[in-house]
Amino acid sequence: MKFSKEASAAEDDDSHFAEDFDEDLRDGEGKRRDFSKLELKPDHLNRPLWACADGRIFLETFSALYKQAYDFLIAIAEPVCRPESMHEYNLTPHSLYAAVSVGLETETIISVLNKLSKTKLPKEMIDFIHSSTANYGKVKLVLKKNKYLVESPFPEVLKRLLQDEVIGRARLTSDGNHDGFTVGKSAGEIEGVHDELLNEAELAGVAEEKETLSFEIDPAQVENVKQRCLPNALNYPMLEEYDFRNDTVNPDLEVELKPHAQPRPYQEKSLSKMFGNGRARSGIIVLPCGAGKSLVGVSAACRIRKSCLCLATNAVSVDQWAFQFKLWSTIKEEQICRFTSDSKERFRGNVGVVVATYNMIAFGGKRSEESEKIIEEIRNREWGLLLMDEVHVVPAHMFRKVISLTKSHCKLGLTATLVREDERITDLNFLIGPKLYEANWLDLVKGGFIANVQCAEVWCPMTKEFFAEYLKKSNSKKKQALYVMNPNKFRACEFLIRFHEQQRGDKIIVFADNLFALTEYAMKLRKPMIYGATSHPERTKILEAFKTSRDVNTVFLSKVGDNSIDIPEANVIIQISSHAGSRRQEAQRLGRILRAKGKPQDRVAGGKEEYNAFFYSLVSTDTQEMYYSTKRQQFLIDQGYSFKVITSLPPADSGPELHYHRLDDQLALLKKVLTAGDDLVGLEQLEEDADGMALQKARRTFGSMSAMSGASGMVYMEYGTGQKRLHGQKSKPKDPAKRHQLFKKRFG
Amino acid sequence: MPQVKIVARNFMDMVASLPAMKLDKLYENSFICEAILRSLPPLAKKYVLQLLYIDGPVVATWLEEWVLADGVSKHRVAIDRLIQLRVLTENLERKKEATYRFNPTFQRNLQNHIAQGGILPREPMPSNITVRLPSLEDLDAYAVEQWEFFLLHLISSTEAEKSTNISSSMMKVFQRGLLSQKDDKEPPRLTESGFQFLVRLMDTNAQLWYIVREYISNCEERGLDTADLISFLLELSFHVTGEAYNSNTLTDVQRNIIKDLADLGLVKLQQGRKESWFIPTKLVTNLSISLADSSSRKQGFVVVETNFRVYAYSQSKLHCEILRLFSRIEYQLPNLIVGAINKESLYKAFQNGISAEQIISFLQQNAHPRVTERIPSVPENVTDQMRLWESDLNRVEMTPAHLYDEFPSRDVFDSACDFAREYGGLLWENSKKMRIVVKAEIFTQMKEFLRSHKQ
Repeated sequence: MKFSKEASAAEDDDSHFAEDFDEDLRDGEGKRRDFSKLELKPDHLNRPLWACADGRIFLETFSALYKQAYDFLIAIAEPVCRPESMHEYNLTPHSLYAAVSVGLETETIISVLNKLSKTKLPKEMIDFIHSSTANYGKVKLVLKKNKYLVESPFPEVLKRLLQDEVIGRARLTSDGNHDGFTVGKSAGEIEGVHDELLNEAELAGVAEEKETLSFEIDPAQVENVKQRCLPNALNYPMLEEYDFRNDTVNPDLEVELKPHAQPRPYQEKSLSKMFGNGRARSGIIVLPCGAGKSLVGVSAACRIRKSCLCLATNAVSVDQWAFQFKLWSTIKEEQICRFTSDSKERFRGNVGVVVATYNMIAFGGKRSEESEKIIEEIRNREWGLLLMDEVHVVPAHMFRKVISLTKSHCKLGLTATLVREDERITDLNFLIGPKLYEANWLDLVKGGFIANVQCAEVWCPMTKEFFAEYLKKSNSKKKQALYVMNPNKFRACEFLIRFHEQQRGDKIIVFADNLFALTEYAMKLRKPMIYGATSHPERTKILEAFKTSRDVNTVFLSKVGDNSIDIPEANVIIQISSHAGSRRQEAQRLGRILRAKGKPQDRVAGGKEEYNAFFYSLVSTDTQEMYYSTKRQQFLIDQGYSFKVITSLPPADSGPELHYHRLDDQLALLKKVLTAGDDLVGLEQLEEDADGMALQKARRTFGSMSAMSGASGMVYMEYGTGQKRLHGQKSKPKDPAKRHQLFKKRFG
Repeated sequence: MPQVKIVARNFMDMVASLPAMKLDKLYENSFICEAILRSLPPLAKKYVLQLLYIDGPVVATWLEEWVLADGVSKHRVAIDRLIQLRVLTENLERKKEATYRFNPTFQRNLQNHIAQGGILPREPMPSNITVRLPSLEDLDAYAVEQWEFFLLHLISSTEAEKSTNISSSMMKVFQRGLLSQKDDKEPPRLTESGFQFLVRLMDTNAQLWYIVREYISNCEERGLDTADLISFLLELSFHVTGEAYNSNTLTDVQRNIIKDLADLGLVKLQQGRKESWFIPTKLVTNLSISLADSSSRKQGFVVVETNFRVYAYSQSKLHCEILRLFSRIEYQLPNLIVGAINKESLYKAFQNGISAEQIISFLQQNAHPRVTERIPSVPENVTDQMRLWESDLNRVEMTPAHLYDEFPSRDVFDSACDFAREYGGLLWENSKKMRIVVKAEIFTQMKEFLRSHKQ
């Protein structure tokens, strides 16, 4: 019955696709947009973008105005996809909120957009900008000389706010003057990027100081006032700004960047967005992994020069943050301390930096006496900067807790991927602040700041026996174990490890979500591994060996390695199992090898090391994995990465030198998989992994992702369930010389 | 309906295939002689000019002596072509050397044409009558628009906004071989050769040849004289682009033809107060120019990104329709079409018989100048994936077959298995349930066999 089995497998897969087809139809042909009636300007060739009435913006990257237009668009719109020649952006209320909060005004947005557009701006878009920015960014919460001030240049807005009961009560009136507001001045934006696009008159207007009005509120009521201003209430979300230069109450931290710490242009730019008007804004900065997020964080701390609380996801990355602070800044040993379950260093002096895990701060249960004291100290202190790493990973409720527990003047969130599989991204907007800056991956690759990665998807056909078991209904819980333990996949993995270790001398990370597979692979290949239960000292030992020893070139990591374990030496990733369709995980894993290595001149296109990092995703064909794999790659594909499909690994002539060559061995392995308990072959559950849990729930309800994640324009369909490329030879590219060594070998 | 293969590489191929009588009649028109001369391969051109004033037969070895050793194949091609067109006739008399002789009509007319120049049957009209003549740019734009409109109509009559004069029967003639229609309810679908025809966007001339050829053969079916038609078309090609010619110089038949030609964008018709006239466009004057002319190649306009998105710098509805054949159109902007290639859209194309290779070559040939510098111009992951999707479709092989069950006994079952196996038709057997699946091609044999066993 071989035939009919295959047919039913195909049906199975189809039902998966059907969900997606619906989704695609919904935002695809169904709302096909015909804007061909828009009027082209006569000099449209010189202008870089098209703007559609539904908020979509297309940007030509080869335009002379690209750089300016890019900086502008990234400030006002969400990038949807950014490949080489044409970028797409979406104008959303959130993105406009972010734009307004970095100091762009409604009229500026419209006039610059109009200047850049090839066509007349659609009226709908202008209206949309007006309505979206009407309320946003009008009110600021400023902590000035330790007074909380609600500040706005618009008196009518302040009056409206005061009509609210909660806010009215929270108001502090020192001089008995109920109607008047305090008049102050705030500096205009000092950045010059968009100014080039405006004419001189407008430019003069921008540079001028602005008059602002404000009233003071009771510090105890700040949270309530903020709540009242959220979109679900008064809808005047407050921007938080910290006038740290005028903060005389909190002691200064005598610290500055070391001379060798030279922020790169995009790091400068992200900082300039944060400190655009001489104050510190709260918000999120999005930089790819390996692009130097920590330097941005440390620089921000050095600029504010007040006490800083830095939060990371796990103990290893706490160590790494502490190290980064010492590396980049002149901070003294006694001014920095770590607070994790293993190391509870006490804070000395009245000012300093504390690095802790989210869990330690948000922990609700009983604590040891020692840590209770520390947490008390953290709670009572006024922090100049709350620096939060990997903000996309932490569940929203944990954020709420952390933010309500700690008093901070300014919050900076750092992340590489602002995508979550749950719908919590919008929360971040109001909990931390708008996205201040997001770098373009491809531009950083071109600039040589991050490694140029060759991504490949390796198709491993299931062996007959494994596939037969895979299709059995009784094995539904073992499906994952079966496709991960597919002997062909094992052999492909082993082949790749050998190739990279022996022929290129690379350092390799192998990722597996499935613990059973992780142990099986690692034991069989005799390589070290790290997973959730591995103790901190052991982790450090393994990573140290991986960094320094010539004999340890491969390390197996479970999900714990996804985030913030910094392994700068690694330049090859082999992914043998992954977590369903998590785009973030894929991007995070790729991030492990993004740190640029080698000489910059070798890394440019055509250089001898054009690609010096490799990302392999091993998928078993005809299984769920194929479907997930496509979903996972979406984020990276939108960033301009492309995945090459490799169908012939390990090479056909490879024999017993790789494991599981003999059928007996394969069957033994199969038996092992089938006899293992269901709990053993399942996924590893980590406390800090909210995304994973969301995914498991969300798998059935792949609804609309938040527009904020930039995924609203899902356009790319999944890969097929194909097995082998039939015309392998024919489809070779014309110019094999362009191929990397490795691929040359693969394709002959 | 006959399958029309697109072989109209050249108008002249069709001329060459005319019967000798008709060819000789064509050569009475000196313009056709010139058109023939223009269409020849360079070496053949040289032979004609060199031999033009030689009366009487020429010994074949003479010609061979003119050619260097490595030019023999070109020589052969040139001679074959000349003989095919009956410009030269070959005499193979016994015991004598082979000789070539000019077609006397052709020779005389070409001689006259060269010496005196041709006189067209009509003169351009004086400009005082023909006011508001279109400028050359306008005329070009008109021709392109008409032509694209015609093509759009050809592939999808629903998308075309205005109707065309070309009768639906004529349209059907053009469509045969390009579109296939299962039944009347379903809209016709583009065939593989239809796609091939359309994606020759770079080469309007080649498309034009095809349509004109179909047009001519259709006229023949309606009882018009092919030779007349061809000579009229070739004559038109010697008119001056942009000049107005009085319609009353045309015969009734020609006047009907010219209306059709206007729909194709070959001429523009205008009506004055009293007079009416036609203005030849670039399309018709290019008819006699040899195909090797590549200056008419259009600039590419398509950008394909690594995320399978397609951006086409075009405002043409036709382009949009072509892209729609294999991608999902998402946005249409004044001068940009945005689409996405996905598995679904490709499967639609594959069903229509369009191959991945054809789509890829279309995308490559029409690549925007911005991306032609990069190699490959269409990202490798996209082309690879398209081929993989295509080969995916070929994973399952269909074999028509029959299922046999309820065998009266185990013996009959076993012998039926053996019988089917012997004929190489046994696809599957389940001896427990006594069922077999056998290829349909040996159905009759199986039937015979089973009947004999029943008794």
